[in-house]
Amino acid sequence: MSAILQAHHVEKYYGNRNNLTKALDGISFDVDAGEFMGVMGASGSGKTTLLNCISTIDTATSGQILIGGVDVTAMHAKALAKFRREELGFIFQDFNLLDTLTAYENIALALTILDTPHREIDRRTQDAARILGISDVLKKYPYQMSGGQRQRVASARAIVTEPSLVLADEPTGALDSKSARMLLERFEHLVEQRNATILMVTHDAFSASYCNRILFIRDGKLFHELVRGGASRKQFFDRIIEVISLLGGDANDII
Amino acid sequence: MTSFKLALRNVKKSFRDYAIYFLTLTFGVCIFFVFNSIESQQAIMDLTNGQMGILRLLNNVMTTFSVFVSVILGALILYANRFLIRRRKKEFGIYMTLGMEKGAMSRILVSETILVGLISLGVGTAMGVLLSQGMALVTAGLLGAEIGHFEFIFSSAAMWKTVICFGAVFLLTLIFNVFMVQKQNLIDLIYADRKNETFKTPKLFLSVFLFIVAAVLLGGAYFLVSGDGVFGVQTLGVAIVLGVVGTFLFFFSLSGFFLKLLQQNKRVYLKGLNMFVLRQINSKINTTYISMTMVCLMLFISISTLSSGIGVAKGLAESMEKNIPFDAGFLVNAGFTKDGETVRDYPGVDLIRAAKEGGADLSGFAKTYWTTRYYKADGNADMDRELSDMGPRFMKLSDFNTILKNRGVDPIALAPGQFAIDSGFDNEAYVEKLTALAGRAPTIRVGGEKLKTDASLLFQYALYVTQNSGMSPTLIVPDALLDGARPAADVLHIIYKGEGREYDTQCREALKGLPLPSGVERSLETGASVRETSSTATTTIAYLAIYLGIVFLITSAAILAISQLSETSDNISRYGLLRKIGTDERMIHRALFTQILIFFGVPLALALVHAVVGISMVNRVTGMLGTGSILAGSLFMALIMLIVYGGYFFATYLGSKNMLDREYARIE
Ligand SMILES: Nc1ncnc2c1ncn2[C@@H]1O[C@H](COP(=O)(O)OP(=O)(O)OP(=O)(O)O)[C@@H](O)[C@H]1O
Ligand SMILES: [Mg+2]
Repeated sequence: MSAILQAHHVEKYYGNRNNLTKALDGISFDVDAGEFMGVMGASGSGKTTLLNCISTIDTATSGQILIGGVDVTAMHAKALAKFRREELGFIFQDFNLLDTLTAYENIALALTILDTPHREIDRRTQDAARILGISDVLKKYPYQMSGGQRQRVASARAIVTEPSLVLADEPTGALDSKSARMLLERFEHLVEQRNATILMVTHDAFSASYCNRILFIRDGKLFHELVRGGASRKQFFDRIIEVISLLGGDANDII
Repeated sequence: MTSFKLALRNVKKSFRDYAIYFLTLTFGVCIFFVFNSIESQQAIMDLTNGQMGILRLLNNVMTTFSVFVSVILGALILYANRFLIRRRKKEFGIYMTLGMEKGAMSRILVSETILVGLISLGVGTAMGVLLSQGMALVTAGLLGAEIGHFEFIFSSAAMWKTVICFGAVFLLTLIFNVFMVQKQNLIDLIYADRKNETFKTPKLFLSVFLFIVAAVLLGGAYFLVSGDGVFGVQTLGVAIVLGVVGTFLFFFSLSGFFLKLLQQNKRVYLKGLNMFVLRQINSKINTTYISMTMVCLMLFISISTLSSGIGVAKGLAESMEKNIPFDAGFLVNAGFTKDGETVRDYPGVDLIRAAKEGGADLSGFAKTYWTTRYYKADGNADMDRELSDMGPRFMKLSDFNTILKNRGVDPIALAPGQFAIDSGFDNEAYVEKLTALAGRAPTIRVGGEKLKTDASLLFQYALYVTQNSGMSPTLIVPDALLDGARPAADVLHIIYKGEGREYDTQCREALKGLPLPSGVERSLETGASVRETSSTATTTIAYLAIYLGIVFLITSAAILAISQLSETSDNISRYGLLRKIGTDERMIHRALFTQILIFFGVPLALALVHAVVGISMVNRVTGMLGTGSILAGSLFMALIMLIVYGGYFFATYLGSKNMLDREYARIE
């Protein structure tokens, strides 16, 4: 399998010389196409920062980030916007749907800004909605939907453009366990059936247990890596809990 | 004085976003000052008593309308203040969590309001003082007054009026703000910016239905006032009510209607950010349709007053000039009896002989003078009805030709059996009516003979100096036919020996004591007196039109600008999301531009349609405007619109764009 994302020695510093925060401290890893990759770590360990650097919302201080072989740290603002809408899909913790648009329109928006022909927009929107099991809420506005439905709409928007990489920052953070499970099953389905690549930041071992592989971060550095391999989800979950206690973070924060 | 410092910092900070509000306020104060300083402009003019009277009248008219203007501007200030406060709620919530007391917050707001008030009053008045120097020259020009000497004009009366009116408005704002702080509780303030997610828009099919109703109502209103012929105040009232309700429904249903319409066309709807913009507008319509209606109606008033005001003033000035064929005209005719209805019998007066008897030395000031007699001829009832309410007056051909000769025009000839018509007034609609009449080759009966006319025998000369060129034509017939006819009026025409006010004075003096039979009315009009009346009317109309037109214009433009800017600041997170999912910068700016353009463009478009209907109605009824003056008025209006309204539009767009870009730069 080929690497769709390659991070080489990525550093991100905040502040000045006197008061320096090394949010990312020389982190390197690869993500292969078709992988469902998890990123875990204690609060403040640099997960969101990493995701923002990959998603080009933030720029790394040094290092290289290659997506599909293209170095995004060297891109200009205009090219970045184009790259973002064509190659990346985003799922945010707080849904980030437009409250003035219906579910259908929220999903379609990702395609209209790509100047996709309208017939294709309809087909692909319906398609994405079906995969995420939200075909029956397409006419509703965000305020008329449950949290889980909203997050699935946001996920549909992220995948409808068939991006090479979907980035999700704690997508289950605001969901109850039933909705979370449903969403994670959909992600699994996306990876298996559609060969999507997902990079998901999460606090929570249960969500992480759906992944193929998990990176553990501490103080901006890669601390450990877990590969699921042939293990069942329950077995994988237990291994994750083990690493978490090794990490020494307070367990409350993680579960 | 920490609250003052805080206030100063806040005002500075919000100045960037609300520069438009400050500028409008300052400009409002400036305009108010300038139009209230008219009386003091006399300082640099040499005025006759008559001109002085005009200036005083003008000043009174402006003062009266200024009350109205200050109400309008006051409403604008309160409206804008509401937006400013709304944006500050969260800030106050934070102060409150930090333990600041309500009293302290009120002090901050009070200081801020006072600061804003003082700055705009100060700068506005200063600008007004400068502007009034220039306006004095314009006033002098309009009144035909000479500039005596230059001196710096400062109107303390205007200053006091400005301070009192705007002071009262700011005081009201202040009370409102303090009241608002006192009744707020922390929870509301902190969550002030949390979006209300349960906005409701009217059902789409309802929108379509209401839009059709709106179109029907507006069409009805237009139809009522565009009907030919006369209509009463009642019809006008119905038309106005239909128009207002129609406008209201139009804005209420417009966005829903277009949403529905464009949703049918997927090619357009699913293109770029079109869907986003339409939804954006549609989601706002619940809170904006009332202000949009107000803006549209104010724009309508502004457009109408600016274009027809200037047009009427120009038309009036031009037609007045045509009413002065010679230097003076002394008209005597029958007075009314006591009941005020029936006209007395008029014996006919030989004015030159009367002058001699009264000892008036006409040749002392006149180069030329002669008289003309008007006659009555009964028995042409149907013709009378068609021509005027008063019935036509007749004139001998030789008298008419004498008048033409003195105007330097070739005399006319009448073939046997012909008569000519002089409209005396070149009002387009009236001339058109007479032309149509003459084209039908009507016949009249005078002195036992039947006479005919045709379109080539229609003339439009003013026949003597007069204030009012009413719609009463003169029929010119061969001399002999009028020999036995009853006289209707006599006119003594005078051409002075030279130019200058002294001839006017002498003429008035000489004709004052002319002995006339009892029951006879006299009136002396000279070129100067006609021009004076005309300049009163033109100056008052022009100034009032500009004053009200501009106040309404800046008020409506400022309302749009402020609501759009605050709309943008509410929408920062929505635009932020568009950026995050990779929307092109240019696409976002275009969406913003489109949204603001629609909010500025739609009320203007509807107001323009209203105005075209309204102005042509006024024109048809009063017959005041010729094509030329309509064009001049419209050009003037278009220019002002382009500068002021266009300026507000671009300032709003740039302000909104900067707000978004700044926010984006902060996130990056
Ligand atoms: N804009 C910033 N300026 C300064 N420091 C920052 C900034 N953003 C993040 N940091 C710091 O960088 C470090 C990593 O933050 P980051 O948001 O990536 O953590 P995280 O792993 O996502 O935590 P959480 O699980 O709580 O979301 C933290 O110490 C944080 O204080
Ligand atoms: Mg985070």
